[in-house]
Parts: sequence; structure tokens; C-alpha cells
Amino acid sequence: MSNGRLDSASKVWMHYGGLIILAAICLMPIWVMISTSLKNEVLIFDGTPVWFFFFPTMENYEYILTRGKFDRYLTNSIIVATLSTFLTLFLGGLCAYALARTEFRGRRFVANATLLVRMVPPAVLAVPAFAMVATFSLNNDLAVLTFFYTALNLPFAIWLLFGFYKQIPVELEEAAIVDGASPLQVFFRVLLPLMKSGYAVAGIFAFRIAWNEFILALLLTGRKTRTLPVGAAGFITDTGVEWGRIMAMGTLIVIPPLLFTFFAARQIIAGMTAGAVKG
Amino acid sequence: MSGVMLRQVVKAYGPIVVIPELDLSIAEGEFVVIVGPSGCGKSTTLRMIAGLETVSGGSIFIADKDVTYAPPKARDIAMVFQSYALYPHMNVAGNMSFALRLAGTPKAEIEERVRRAADMLELTPYLDRKPKDLSGGQRQRVAMGRSIVRDAYCFLFDEPLSNLDAKLRATMRTELALLHKRLERTMVYVTHDQIEAMTMADRIVIMDKGIIQQVGTPREVYTAPENLFVAGFIGSPSMNLLQGEIADQAGDLRVRGAGFDLPIPQRMKTRATGARSRDVVVGLRPEHFSASDSGDGDLAPIRLEVDVAEYIGSSQFLAAMVGEEHVTASVDVGPDAAPLASGDYFFDADRLYLFDRASGQAL
Repeated sequence: MSNGRLDSASKVWMHYGGLIILAAICLMPIWVMISTSLKNEVLIFDGTPVWFFFFPTMENYEYILTRGKFDRYLTNSIIVATLSTFLTLFLGGLCAYALARTEFRGRRFVANATLLVRMVPPAVLAVPAFAMVATFSLNNDLAVLTFFYTALNLPFAIWLLFGFYKQIPVELEEAAIVDGASPLQVFFRVLLPLMKSGYAVAGIFAFRIAWNEFILALLLTGRKTRTLPVGAAGFITDTGVEWGRIMAMGTLIVIPPLLFTFFAARQIIAGMTAGAVKG
Repeated sequence: MSGVMLRQVVKAYGPIVVIPELDLSIAEGEFVVIVGPSGCGKSTTLRMIAGLETVSGGSIFIADKDVTYAPPKARDIAMVFQSYALYPHMNVAGNMSFALRLAGTPKAEIEERVRRAADMLELTPYLDRKPKDLSGGQRQRVAMGRSIVRDAYCFLFDEPLSNLDAKLRATMRTELALLHKRLERTMVYVTHDQIEAMTMADRIVIMDKGIIQQVGTPREVYTAPENLFVAGFIGSPSMNLLQGEIADQAGDLRVRGAGFDLPIPQRMKTRATGARSRDVVVGLRPEHFSASDSGDGDLAPIRLEVDVAEYIGSSQFLAAMVGEEHVTASVDVGPDAAPLASGDYFFDADRLYLFDRASGQAL
């Protein structure tokens, strides 16, 4: 009997041990980023890397916040990411709803093909995108970047929301219609509350991709329309890489999507539709 | 006439005609059950009354108003769905009051009406719960409560009991019948379960392949089925249908077939005379077989080769052969009888049915 208890105890240890190792692997780069951002240049290039005990400095943050164009990049990023996320959710939601609810020839193909588009890496699109935009002299326009991110995010959002919409029984909508709801009321008072988690998940993905995307942003933006990732890359200069400042910027870049994710994740309540229909 | 009226209603999906042409009048306050096998168009008919399905032709009247092209909310109907379709993000009170809130009913009145409906359905302790925290029967009652609160002119039910277990179904059946008595509203109820239809309906509409086969009170459709389909559909276990022939034996009309020879009852004589020596189908209800000649009725002997005798308490179900054909008989022999074996049984010939084999219509 004591044998069995020992076994289960060691199982727990192995379990948590494994989790701790995995967590450490995930968190290490982040710690390197944060700690580097708090070091001065001498310390960064020191032969023996210091992991935890050093005298932190805020000079990197001070520099990017006062002398860089951080506020402009941040504004650009926020505009592009939120706008494209909103557009993705709005358009993707409509499309997913149509796919889930209407019958037309090739519906299944369309639903699957959307995901296929998703398989194309953004880097492949970079050159044609640039050529297109340059032809119409539309570079340096935030709207263009927003448009591309929306296009990039739509397939996945459609595919994801399609699955969520399919889970909502049609009868719920019919019940609402019989109860006297207009199409907009059906959507806002019955469908949307049930789709919250779906939209939250799609939103997190769309926002994260739009926020972090680098290649298209690099090609399609100019001095005034640069987003944060491109701004951070600006510290890679001919005379050297300013690691401290890059890391400080990186640390700051992480914060908005983190806040967004926490906010969005609160909407994800598993099993919202459970109990709608006896199953 | 008020109530619900369907006049020459047609439903087609492209070239596929689901309901060729349907006429049906439902009186105000009547409880009508539409029954039929799956795919017979009964749900489609109900959904057309509700306005959830467009009609391809004809017109629908509710309370003397032409609602053929009116949206559901303009029809003054309430509907209970097979899956209940409760809003999962609203609690019971929210579910029941949704329609009233949409209509902008004053808050005090909403509360009063929800309270009354909840009392009626014994849902008061659960008003704050979400649907997922309710049992199947409770969900079912919430779905009904949602319609009751509406106080609509007409209530539509789409197989509302099919997700419940047998015992609960029986209880809900009684509750529904009571509800109809209390509310005195027109109710249209769709089911594939003929027991539900028989127990609750004022009138039964039996449908097959989009066509109404017969409309009548439960007694009428049981005792006087108009055609083979109704005969086979109504009654449990279902009626035995055997091939036979009418023979005139010195003025005594009889119906004969492989393994049986039964006298034709007085009430059918005139009609049977016209059908002499024509091919007919004989309908024998399982419950009209008996093991002994009790004297009452018009009992005629019939030989059953019993394959299996199923004990179900006071009677036994026999899977047997008459001639070359399988028949079912439900023989009332009391709970202590030994398993029944092959032999001579009796059939109440006064209760046999005759159908024209070619047309399927009752003689």
C-alpha cells in the first residue's frame, strides 16, 4: 500500500518536473529579452553572461521612449492591428456564418479552400504584394498594411468561426425568430453571446499576427508608417546591433498583445452551448 | 371560420415536390396532432404554419388572417422545438421572457407572466438556472413555458417529447393535455408516435408522402381507417394485413385466404357484395384475437402456428403464421397462463377490415 503511495508521489514529481522544464524552455528567451533590456552595453557583451544578479539600468527604455519614434510606431501598430483584427472578425464572421448556414454549390470546397490559402507563408506573398502596391504607389499607407493583414488573417478566422457557427443549432435562431426577433436581434442577442469564445479565439490569433508581422510591414511601410517590429529592426545598424535597445523595444512590444489576450481570453468560456439542445 | 386553415398549400424544393397540395382546417381551440412516418412532410407543414418555411403555393390563414407571406412574428404563434432550443446563455427566466422583452412589454407585466407560467409548470425554484443545469424534463418544461408566457393564439409543437425517456414522456403527455385544457388555445402537434397522437389529440391528421391520408378523431381513425396506410399506422402493435378474396357462399359473404376463412360482418355486407370475387386485403388487429370463445362478439375460429409467445404480463404477444403470412396477435389470457402454443384461436370478425387491394382504400 505504501508502495502505491510512493509511486503516485513520484508520479506527481515527474509530472511537475516535466512541466517545470517545459516552462523554463518557454520562458528562457523571454527572460533573456527582459534581462538584456535592463543591461548596459558593457554588461551585454561581457564574456561571462550574467543571468540574474546585475545592477539594472533603465537607459535603454529611456532612449527608445524619449529619443526614438516609439510613440509613432506604437500608434501605427495599434491602428493596423486593431483595425485589421476588427475587419477580420467582421468579414470572417459574416463569411463563416454564410458558409455554415446556407447551402450552395461548392460550399464544402470553399470552406476547405479557405484553410488552404492559410498554408501560404506570408514571405511568399511579400514580393507580389510589394509589386502590386508599388504599381499603384500605395506604399507608406497604413490602410494598405491593414488590408494585407486582414487578407492574411481571414482564411483562418473563417475556418475557425465556421466551426463555431456549425455548433450552434439552427433551431436556436428559429426559436428567436418565432419569439419575434429581427435578423439583427437574432445576431446580437442570441448568436453573438454564443459566439463570444469563437470570436475571442479568432481575435487573439488575428491580433497577434498583425501585431508581430515583420516582412510585409518592412516592405510596405515608410518612415511615417513603420510599425513596432520594423522600428525595432531599425536598431540593427551598419555600426552594430544595439541589443539593449532592441530588447527593450521587444519587451514593450509584448505588452499590448498580452493585455489584449487576457481581455479576449476572459470571453472564452468553454461549453457555452452545452445545454442548448439535448445531446 | 377562425383557427388555422391551410388552403391548397404546396411545398416544393426545386423540382422535388414534398407536399403536393394540402388542405386542412383546424378549429379554434382544437388540439390537432399531425402524425406520420419520418419524411412524410408533417414537420414541413408545421414549419410552414410557423412561417419558418416558405410555401410554394396556396395560402395559410391564422385567426382569419392571411399570413401566407407574413414573418413568424406577425403570426401570433408560439413554437416548441424538438431540441427545445433554449438559449444557453440565458437563465430560465430569461428564456421565458425573451419574446416579451423583444416586444417591449413592461417589466412588471413580464415578471407577472413569467411567475404565473413558472408556477403552472413547477419551474419557480429554477428560474435563475441556466439550461445546462436542468434535467431533460425541466428543459422541456422551460420550452413550453417560453410559449405559454407568450400567450399566443396558436401553439405549435414539433416532436417535443421525442428526447425524453418513456416514463417522462407519459407524464409530459398528461401535462400537455392539461395545459391545453387550461389555456384553451389552438394547438398543432407533430409527432411520429401514434400513441402520443391517440392520447392527446382532439383530431388526428395522418400524413404520408406529403398527402393527408385521413383526418379524424382518435376513435375514428382507429375504428374506421380509410386506407391501408392508416390501418397499418394507427394501432400498436400494428394491424395484420393479409391477402384475401371475398366469396359468396350461398348468400353468406366470407373473406378467404391462405389459412383463414372469416365471415364478413353485417355492417360491411352491402359494400362487400359489390366487391365480390375481387382481391382484397384483410385487416386483423392483434388485440382482437382471443384464445377462447367467450361468447360475446362474433368470434370466428382461426388457426395460428405460433413461433414465439412473448410474455408481457396480463397478455401475451404471439408472433405466428396464418397460412404463409406472419401475423402478430395480442392475446389476453391473464398473467398466470402458460406460454401459448399453436392451435385454434378466435378472431372477433365484427372488427375485421377490408381494403381494396388495388387502390388500398377501405371497402
